[in-house]
Amino acid sequence: MRIFNRYILILVLTACVINGVLAFLGQTDLSVYFILNTIAYLVVTLLHVYLNPTARRALNGVAVVLFAGFMVIVIVKVVEILS
Amino acid sequence: MFLSLKNPYRVLGLVLAVAGALFAPLAYFFIASVPLTAVALSAVMLGFTCLVLANARPYISPEASELILRTGMANTAALLEELGLDRKAVYLPSSMREGQPQALIPLKGDLDLQRIRGKIPGRLIVRYGDRPEDMAIAVTTPVSIDLTKLETVPGPTAPEIESAVTYVLAGLLDLASAVSVDIEGDRITVEVAGARLHYEDIWYYHCLGSPVASIAASISSEAFGRPVRILEESYQHGKSKVLLEVLA
Repeated sequence: MRIFNRYILILVLTACVINGVLAFLGQTDLSVYFILNTIAYLVVTLLHVYLNPTARRALNGVAVVLFAGFMVIVIVKVVEILS
Repeated sequence: MFLSLKNPYRVLGLVLAVAGALFAPLAYFFIASVPLTAVALSAVMLGFTCLVLANARPYISPEASELILRTGMANTAALLEELGLDRKAVYLPSSMREGQPQALIPLKGDLDLQRIRGKIPGRLIVRYGDRPEDMAIAVTTPVSIDLTKLETVPGPTAPEIESAVTYVLAGLLDLASAVSVDIEGDRITVEVAGARLHYEDIWYYHCLGSPVASIAASISSEAFGRPVRILEESYQHGKSKVLLEVLA
């Protein structure tokens, strides 16, 4: 189970670094936090390509939900800019 | 089944997801802190990740798997020792066997590959040539079953073999942390970092190699479509080094 532990640990550290740095920079837009966390999640998951097929399928499900949220934010921002 | 709290990933996932979901509206509406809301959302993301990973864990515990592996190895070792077989096994690709890759240990002398006629039958004691002494024992190796889980059969190049061995050792079986493969002529050097089952000086390992070497040999044999033999195996500074020979 070491590969699962390593994967979760990397996700936790990445989220801590992203949230910490954005808070330090005074970012007050929640969508920026969400987008960066989602991108980091997708990258870390992609780098763990050697996880077993069941785990990868399950993580892809979470990634699809996060990506849908990411797309909603992008569409809302585009609509705001256009109007 | 889903609500069983024996799985640590499930407990961690539930705690993170529930705590994050409860704290996010509090942080956003009452504390009015965006960074704290972001932390709560991250906790929800991690919580769901842990929950899905909990369902992806193998059904059999690692302890039970190790027990089954050691029992199988002890039985094979007893058979080899009883028959007095101490020659190095030759790993055959699935194309030379009936469906799955296996290892052949000759009963007498060295295995003469030129004598192999067609596919070797899927039995324990097999005849591979025409002479009476062309007899061998065919043993199923750890990767004989897991090779079916490879999405594509690797080609005979170092990156392809490295990718396949890493996928099986690090991803599927969690037996190692990293693998590097180097090919020079008919010699393949496989370096395995963080190997959990490294070489020991016992009869089974002398004939068939450690499970890690056995997996590397089976995959290399499948990649080249030719028999492969484990020439040397060593363990130094936390790394297992396996030298394989691709036979003609």
